[in-house]
Amino acid sequence: MELFANLAHGFVVAFSPINLLMCLIGALVGTLVGVLPGIGTIATVAMLLPITFGLPPVGALIMLAGIYYGAQYGGSTTSILVNIPGEATSVVTALDGHQMAKQGRAGPALAIAAIGSFFAGCVATVLIAVLGAPLTKLALAFGPAEYFSLMVLGLIFAVVLAKGSVLKAIAMIVFGLLLSMVGSDIETGASRMAFNIPELADGLGFATVAMGVFGFAEIIRNLDHGAEMDRNLVQQKITGLMPTRKDLIDSSPAILRGTVLGSILGILPGGGAVIASFAAYTLEKKLAKNPSRFGRGAIEGVAAPESANNAAAQTSFIPLLTLGIPPNAVMALMVGAMTIHGIVPGPQVMQKQPDLVWGMIASMWIGNLMLIIINLPLVGIWVRLLRVPYRLMFPSIVVFCAIGIYSVNNAPVDVVLAGAFGLVGYWLIKHDFEPAPLLLGMVLGPLMEENLRRALLISRGDWSVFLSRPLSAVLLAIAAGLLVLAVLPTLRAKRDEVFVESEG
Amino acid sequence: MSDTPSEAPVKSILPKWVRGPQDFVGGLAMMAVALFALWASSDLQGMHGFSFGAGTAPRMFAVLLLLLGGAVALMGILKDGPHIAAYSWRGPLFVSAAIVFFALAIRPLGLVVSAFAAFLIAAMGSHETKWVEAIIVGACLTVGCALLFPYVLGLPMPMFPRFLIQ
Repeated sequence: MELFANLAHGFVVAFSPINLLMCLIGALVGTLVGVLPGIGTIATVAMLLPITFGLPPVGALIMLAGIYYGAQYGGSTTSILVNIPGEATSVVTALDGHQMAKQGRAGPALAIAAIGSFFAGCVATVLIAVLGAPLTKLALAFGPAEYFSLMVLGLIFAVVLAKGSVLKAIAMIVFGLLLSMVGSDIETGASRMAFNIPELADGLGFATVAMGVFGFAEIIRNLDHGAEMDRNLVQQKITGLMPTRKDLIDSSPAILRGTVLGSILGILPGGGAVIASFAAYTLEKKLAKNPSRFGRGAIEGVAAPESANNAAAQTSFIPLLTLGIPPNAVMALMVGAMTIHGIVPGPQVMQKQPDLVWGMIASMWIGNLMLIIINLPLVGIWVRLLRVPYRLMFPSIVVFCAIGIYSVNNAPVDVVLAGAFGLVGYWLIKHDFEPAPLLLGMVLGPLMEENLRRALLISRGDWSVFLSRPLSAVLLAIAAGLLVLAVLPTLRAKRDEVFVESEG
Repeated sequence: MSDTPSEAPVKSILPKWVRGPQDFVGGLAMMAVALFALWASSDLQGMHGFSFGAGTAPRMFAVLLLLLGGAVALMGILKDGPHIAAYSWRGPLFVSAAIVFFALAIRPLGLVVSAFAAFLIAAMGSHETKWVEAIIVGACLTVGCALLFPYVLGLPMPMFPRFLIQ
C-alpha cells in the first residue's frame, strides 16, 4: 500500500494552493501558445522555460508539466478547427477532426478529444505510480555499462521511430552529442572547443539551442510561405459541445485501445507521443468494420490518437523519473529545467525528493482535469486567437523568445547564439534533417560520456564489458536488432506508409 | 522582389553525377562540422593508459559524424533525391537582425527600447506588415513584457536606457 501512500502524499503536495495555481497557469499558458499554429509542443516548452526559472523547483516542474499538456491540447484544438496541426502529434487528429468540424460537429470533436485525453491521463498517472518504484529499484542495479547501453538503445529507438532517413537521424544525434562536448570536461576540467569564449566555458545552454532550433528556425521557415498562411478556419459558431450518446458509445473502445497503445509506446525510449497517435489511428482504421468512414469525420479517428498521445506524453515521464534518461525531446527539456534547479534526474530523486516526484505525478492528473474544465468553455477564445494574423504574431514571438533567453543567464551572448542556432535549424529543415534527435543527443551526451568513461575505467579499458555483462548485452542486442529492422526495405515501406497517412 | 522561394538555380553548380543534391550538400556540411570539431579538439589530451582524456570523447563523436556525413553524401550520389530547397533571404535576415540588435541593445538601452525596436526590425521580415498596426502591437507587447518579466516573474533586467537613469 506504499503506492497509495505515495500518491496521497503527492496529492497533498499538488493540492497546495500555490501548486494548484502553478498547474492552472501552466495548462492555460501552454494551451494559449500551443494553439498558435506553427508552434509545436517542443517550441512551446522551450519558449516558456524561462518563465519558470524564478519559481521553487516543485512549482516550476508542475508548471512545466502543465505547459506540456496544455500545448498538446492546444495543438489538437488547432488541428480540429483550422486543419493546421500545431505539432506532429496532432497531425492525425486533423484528418477526422477537421472533417467533423466542417460538418458542424466541432463541439463533439473537441469534447471527445478532451475526454479521451483525460481518461488516458488518469490511466497513465496510475501507471507511473505503479511502475515508478520497481523501475527505480531496477535502476539501482544498473552500472555504468548498463546505463550506456540503455542510452544507446534509447537513441536507436528515437532513430527508428523518427520520420525520414535513418542515416540522417543518426547523424543528427551524433551532431547533438558533439555539441554537448563544448565546455568544461567534467573529470579534468579542461576547456573543450570553447575557443576561450567565457560564455562557452559552461557549455552551450540547452534552452538556448532548443529555442534557436525550434523557436527561431520555425519562425524563419514559416515566413518562407509568406506571412499569411492558409487558414480555412471553421467559421460557423460552435454549438452543442456535448457529444451524443452514440458518439460516446462509438468512441469508448477507441479511447481504451488508444490509451493502452499510447501508454506502452510512451515508456519506450524514443517512442513518445508522435508515433503513439499514428499507431492508434492506424489500429482503429484496421479494426473498423467500415474503414472508409475514416478521413470523413469518424469520431474514433479523433478519440484514439488523442488518447494515445496523451497517454504517451505522460508515461514518457517514467524513464525520466526512474532512470534519469529523457526518452524524447520534450523530456530532454525537462531535464534541462531540472538541472537549472539543481536537481539531477534519476533514481535518487525518487528517494531524496518524494515531494517533487509524487507532487508532479499527482499534478499530472489535476492538470488533465483542469484542461477538461477550463478548455471546453474557453474554446471560443482560442478560436479568436487563431484569427490573429501571422504578420503580428511572428515579431512578438521573436521578441518574447529573445527576452526569455536573455533572462536565463542575463547574457546577451546567449541571445546571439540562439539566433545562430535558428539559422542552423533553418538550414537543417531545408536539408531534411530532423532537429529533435539533435536535442536528444545533446542532453544525453554528457551522461553517455560519463558512463562510458566509468565503465571502461572499471573494466580497465576492456571494451568487451558492454557485451559480457548480460543486461548490457541484451540492451545492445535489442538496439542492433532494431537498427537492422529499420533499414530493411520491407519494414521501411511499412513505416513510410504510416507517415504518409497524414498527407492523404 | 518577392520573398517566396522560387526554383533556385543552385542545381547548376553541382556536377551531373550528384543525383540527390539535398543529401549531398547536407552530408558534406556534416563532414565539415566534424572536421572543424576534430581541429578544435586537437589540442586536448587523448587516452592515457586505459582512461579517457578530455579529448577522447569529442574526437570519437567527431569521427563518427565524419563517417555518417560521408555516408549521407554518398547517398546523395547514389540515389535520386530532392533538389536543394530555395532559401528566402528576407525572413532569415530581418529575424536575425532583430535578435542581434536585441542582444546588443539590452544592456545599454534597456528592455523597453530594445524590445520595441527588435519587434519592428523583425516585422520587416514580412512584406505584409502594416506599420501602424505593427507599432501598436509592438508597443503593447513591450509594455506587457516590461511588466511580466521583471515584476510578475521576478527576473531582474535593465528597463530604460542607462543615460536616462544617470
